[in-house]
Amino acid sequence: MNGDGMGLREYINDIVEAVVTTAKGMRITARYGVDAKEEVTQQYPEVRREPEERFRGFLRNDIARCTSCTMCVKVCPVDCISLESVRGADKKMVLVSYDINIGRCMYCGLCVEVCPPKSLTHTAGYEMAMFERGEMVLHFVQEEGGEIKARVAKQVAEAAAKAAEAAKAAEAAKAAEAAKPAEAAKPVGLPAANPAPKEDLSAEAPGGSKADPEKKA
Amino acid sequence: MEALALKLMSAVPALAGVPLWAMTLLVMVVVAVILLVFALTFGGLGSYVLRKVAGDIQVRIGPNRVGPYGLLQFLADGVKLIMKEDIIPAKADRFLFALAPYLVFVGSFAAFVVVPFGVGLIASDLNIGVYYVMAVTSLVVIGVLMAGWASNNKWALLGGMRAVAQIVSYEIPVGMALLPAVLIAGSLSLQDIVRSQGGLLGIFGWNLFHNPFTFFSFFLYFTAAQAETNQTPFDLPEAESELVSGYNVEYSGIRYAFFFLAEFGDMFVVAALASACFLGGWHVPFFRAETLPGAWGNLLSLGAFLVKAFGIVLVMMWVRWTLPRLRVDQLMRMSWKYLVPLTFVNLLGVSLWLLVFRGKGIPQLIASIF
Amino acid sequence: MTRPTEALHTQEMLINMGPQHPSTHGVLRVLLRTDGEVVVNARPDIGYLHRGLEKIGERVTYAQFMPFTDRLDYLAGMNCNCAWAWAVEKLAGIEVPERAEYIRVIVSELNRISSHLIAFGSFTADMGAFTPFLYSIREREVVNDLFEMVCGNRLTYNYARVGGVSADLPQGFLEKTKEFLDYFEPKIDEYNNLISYNKIFVHRLANVAVISAKDAVGYGLTGPNLRGSGVKFDLRKDEPYSVYPKLEFDVCVGTGERGALGDCFDRYMVRINEMRQSIRILRQAVAQIPEGPVMAKVPRLFKPAAGEVYFRSECPRGETGFYIISDGTTNPSRLKIRTGSFVTMNIFETVTKGLMIADIVAVIGSFDIILPEIDR
Repeated sequence: MNGDGMGLREYINDIVEAVVTTAKGMRITARYGVDAKEEVTQQYPEVRREPEERFRGFLRNDIARCTSCTMCVKVCPVDCISLESVRGADKKMVLVSYDINIGRCMYCGLCVEVCPPKSLTHTAGYEMAMFERGEMVLHFVQEEGGEIKARVAKQVAEAAAKAAEAAKAAEAAKAAEAAKPAEAAKPVGLPAANPAPKEDLSAEAPGGSKADPEKKA
Repeated sequence: MEALALKLMSAVPALAGVPLWAMTLLVMVVVAVILLVFALTFGGLGSYVLRKVAGDIQVRIGPNRVGPYGLLQFLADGVKLIMKEDIIPAKADRFLFALAPYLVFVGSFAAFVVVPFGVGLIASDLNIGVYYVMAVTSLVVIGVLMAGWASNNKWALLGGMRAVAQIVSYEIPVGMALLPAVLIAGSLSLQDIVRSQGGLLGIFGWNLFHNPFTFFSFFLYFTAAQAETNQTPFDLPEAESELVSGYNVEYSGIRYAFFFLAEFGDMFVVAALASACFLGGWHVPFFRAETLPGAWGNLLSLGAFLVKAFGIVLVMMWVRWTLPRLRVDQLMRMSWKYLVPLTFVNLLGVSLWLLVFRGKGIPQLIASIF
Repeated sequence: MTRPTEALHTQEMLINMGPQHPSTHGVLRVLLRTDGEVVVNARPDIGYLHRGLEKIGERVTYAQFMPFTDRLDYLAGMNCNCAWAWAVEKLAGIEVPERAEYIRVIVSELNRISSHLIAFGSFTADMGAFTPFLYSIREREVVNDLFEMVCGNRLTYNYARVGGVSADLPQGFLEKTKEFLDYFEPKIDEYNNLISYNKIFVHRLANVAVISAKDAVGYGLTGPNLRGSGVKFDLRKDEPYSVYPKLEFDVCVGTGERGALGDCFDRYMVRINEMRQSIRILRQAVAQIPEGPVMAKVPRLFKPAAGEVYFRSECPRGETGFYIISDGTTNPSRLKIRTGSFVTMNIFETVTKGLMIADIVAVIGSFDIILPEIDR
């Protein structure tokens, strides 16, 4: 179908080539059309492909192990992680809130890579639907931030009071009986009991927040 | 129609009092409704089959959600199209815009009148059948151009222009490719053409095997008709990847559905003509369906005809999902430099053949030897 | 073409092709001035996908910019990842373990295959044949599965790291890669039979938008678009980086086999042939890959010395180059990204003069442009 001054042979060759190439193509499409085994579609909601082990789905923070080091916040290129923490009675940081804006997250996985206690991980979840953008935030600390702050503050105050008391007692004891160190060991043991309520709370929190996306899916 | 009305009136005594014109009109309306239902069903199921074929070829599954095997998909689509808002663009020519889809549909539907579905199963056996089909399907051009112009959209206009150029050019090879069948039958009536291919020669009675020229004629017709119905590789008027959707880009809802149905109607008409003119129409191979008693002959021949026509439609879909699209100048070149000369040569060949062998085809010649 | 006469007045038509158009490969807008079907002028209008990647690059650290390079060319994320890593390594003078380099080459070439598959598929879809597109997608899915295995994502990989790659290849990856190559190689012949040499397809592409070698070099075309004009230039060969010198492959160039040298068909065929070469490279790389670490010791927050560097690598859409100016801090002071598609748009207006509307689609498809690369 090219030049204008073509000879009869080219003319016929043209037609023959068109027919032959069309037939070739049609043979291939016919083979796929007839062979039902070639169908590659997966019926998605019913048939699910198992994501690979390294699949980078929704983020999940196991806040029981989180040390509030803020490495993830610093490394995130799109600032989708926000974290608030207060210093607890045992000088460790207590998470007040740990939110991931999943609508902003680009699943690059840099935060998971840097996480020192490996508490931040990718799940295999990839299905989520919501009506508003504001809902696209995953809250990993279920308890009210204010309550945690108040409790921690109370604990810190208690610990401080106890420490002061102990110190006073120790001072008094030191002043009274210089040769009795058993009393001084007591205040050291007491703050160690403090993390107990914190662990309770964190044990339930990730489960609760995780259930959210799954339920929606 | 009048004959049928008379027959009915004599058969059913209760109808004896009805005036003949009223009865004829009634029969006409009933036949028209039957044809309309057939056209709509074909459009619906055709779209399902088209998508299923596309799915199979493209290693997908195709529609499979609505009803068993997705068979009711076309109903869902139809309901959707009817429920959709009918949008007329603000600066469109409202009258032409509204009229165009009906014109296109009427153009393709009117051709159903002379489709020989079976023994005696033809709405009207016009003695100018083939000519009539060519004439009414040309009406589609006006509708398409109207749609393209009235949409006040440049893509639609381009699509309309392409459609006109294309359909007008391909009218000639289509007509020329059909003429050998007309020559052999000596009649323009489609029923006569079908009858001329009967006989106990089986499939060798078909015009397809009448002589080498008719054999080529069939493929030339198929190619040209593919173009006339705007199927890929000739779907330039609605070239999805160039003109977005071509002449019907601004249409929505029920108006779009009419374009859609017209397209499938065209497809069927082309396939029906091909099967009537070249594949023996309603003839069942090695069997005389018309000799069967009562309605059985009609039904059997109807079945044979539909199988042939649907087979051709399937091949059209197969081609559609294989080939890329031509460019507009190549399309014209293909018509004027390839199809038109070839069909003329073919026609000449058939005429000479008929002259030399006194109207006998190869199978008859071979048969006459024994 | 009709010449305007006093009796019959004709007028040029201005058509907006895009930003929403099925075959502009994204949000490219082409201002078409046409005389009927004939294009008088086609002016690309870009910028609808501008995200300011270069400016973002100044704001984030070198390591943090890695995920953004995925978005540079979303069909070839691995290539862009590696290009950025190589650029920063060149800037900071970091030595990368050999295994990591091999891994990078493997994923780059796999990605080149998947990117060329999309180029092939979408091109044929633009030409009206929708079926090859789905075949190409089917093959690409396998590559995506491999990538999901190695890095966890199917499109935005973020796999390379400054100093290596984020994780070693998982168990069975190399075997699956070999399996894919064995499966994929015959498919190329099938594509050729199905569409490449189809009469209609050839006629749509041959002699359309011919770019001479001189023009191609002059307008700064790179990658398959340059090689389609017969210029034998491939950064993997001519400015070798990574372990490419150890691997044998041919540079595919257009031959003008169905029309003039440098037409759409040549550019198309270069891509098809490059897939074959990528298979060759992959087979060698899979056989040669050594054991060892995949990550060099790089401090998490490193500060390269003040200075500037330009590194370019051969991406599926041409040369992707990063020009980095460092002022000795953790962030680049200035970042310039040079991409193949953007530069290709220069020649668009020149080559499309006098073509038909349908050819514009063919030209866009043959350039295999991708909008995020153009707008960045």
